[in-house]
Amino acid sequence: MAPRITLVDADQAPLLVRHLFAAGDPGVIVGALATVPELAEVAVPFLGAALGPGSVEPKAKETVVLRTSVVLGCRYCVDARTVVALDLGLGAGHVAALREAGAGERPVTVDDDTAALVAWTDAVALAKGSIPDEVHAVLAERYAEHQIVELLVTVGTTMLLNRLCTALSLPSSPETLARLAAEGFGP
Amino acid sequence: MSGSGPAAAIEEGRLPGRIWFYSTYACNLACTYCLTESAPGVPRRALDGATIVELTQQAAALGFTDVGITGGEPFLSPDLPAVLTQVASMLPTVVLSNGTLFNDRRLAALKPLARFPLRIQVSLDADQPDVNDAARGPENFAKVVDAIPRLLDVGVGVRVATTLNGTPDPEAMARLCELHRSLGVADEDHVVRPIVRRGRAQVRGEGVDVTPADLPAELTITADGAFWSPFGPTVAAGVLDTDLLITRTTNPLRIPAEALLRLVEGRPPGEDARTGIR
Repeated sequence: MAPRITLVDADQAPLLVRHLFAAGDPGVIVGALATVPELAEVAVPFLGAALGPGSVEPKAKETVVLRTSVVLGCRYCVDARTVVALDLGLGAGHVAALREAGAGERPVTVDDDTAALVAWTDAVALAKGSIPDEVHAVLAERYAEHQIVELLVTVGTTMLLNRLCTALSLPSSPETLARLAAEGFGP
Repeated sequence: MSGSGPAAAIEEGRLPGRIWFYSTYACNLACTYCLTESAPGVPRRALDGATIVELTQQAAALGFTDVGITGGEPFLSPDLPAVLTQVASMLPTVVLSNGTLFNDRRLAALKPLARFPLRIQVSLDADQPDVNDAARGPENFAKVVDAIPRLLDVGVGVRVATTLNGTPDPEAMARLCELHRSLGVADEDHVVRPIVRRGRAQVRGEGVDVTPADLPAELTITADGAFWSPFGPTVAAGVLDTDLLITRTTNPLRIPAEALLRLVEGRPPGEDARTGIR
């Protein structure tokens, strides 16, 4: 599938974001954002901060990223974050369960803590208004207030990328597709 | 102590004071070395006159000292003289033109501008019609040498710009200088620059390669965004180059101006004139 816009490459990288291309191909998301360099200049570091290490344990955070991408139907993000989840040590069965459960369904083979996190993520990602008090309460039993804020930023940032990648038909990299195939996540 | 904004940077010489506007990419000519692949029928990518006037107001407030208007051929826009009346009343202005459109009607429209600090920079590449016209099109030479004295007659200042492929031939350059003097243009108003290997010249494999370090950081506003230099918003094989793009945002002007300043401050000093391109 071809992207719907011309992605910026290293040769055409605008001045404000040229450093993002210095170490090699930064990927299609940066290639898309770089078309608006004044946004990419601040968005790319923000994305790194929002989705990178924080106060929430990495496996839980990646569960939220992957699950958000699943319920919003972002093929690119599900592919890419499956690889990240596997690299973090989330087992293939656990990842498969997160990928396969429908919106609002409890993934099979996950523990109660993960099930609560997934239920909260699904609710936040799909809500048209606020999420129900009881869904928040279940998460609040497990996470501090600042961690809930961090998780909300994680969901929101992931949704931004879901929409960007989906609307622009950004393609998964050959490396990602090869890895997914090797791990049994092929098409 | 140095100030932090564009005004202080311009005043202290850390940022060039000229701002450029690409008024249109359309042109009645199709020169072989055109940076923007301008020609009749290309997408106009035009800045409307009101935008140019508004951004000039902002430029003056930000400390910019003069304006350049280029294209394409700016005089394809019938409202350009009216726009220039407002722009040149705020800041000294130079308009780059191919010099082929100055009929009696346009010259009459320019006459009221004689009281403003306005100059028109006309392209003329050789003293021999066949040499000049090979790159710029049939009858270009004749039209230009006809237009220059007539522009001077209406009271508008004229500069001549010569674009060369390769090393200048001293004898040919001497003849060209004799010609522009005879037309009423002094030596200090004659600009000579190399073909830059961008746009149509890049496709044809002509000209000199440039990097940002070769080009003065003259904020350049186009319909596609703000660029590092008027040599930035080039088009090659129909595709806009973005390697010298600064921001897509052009209004408010402080956004690209401040971004340009940050870029300028982040590079080693003294590297802005390596090839003398102005």
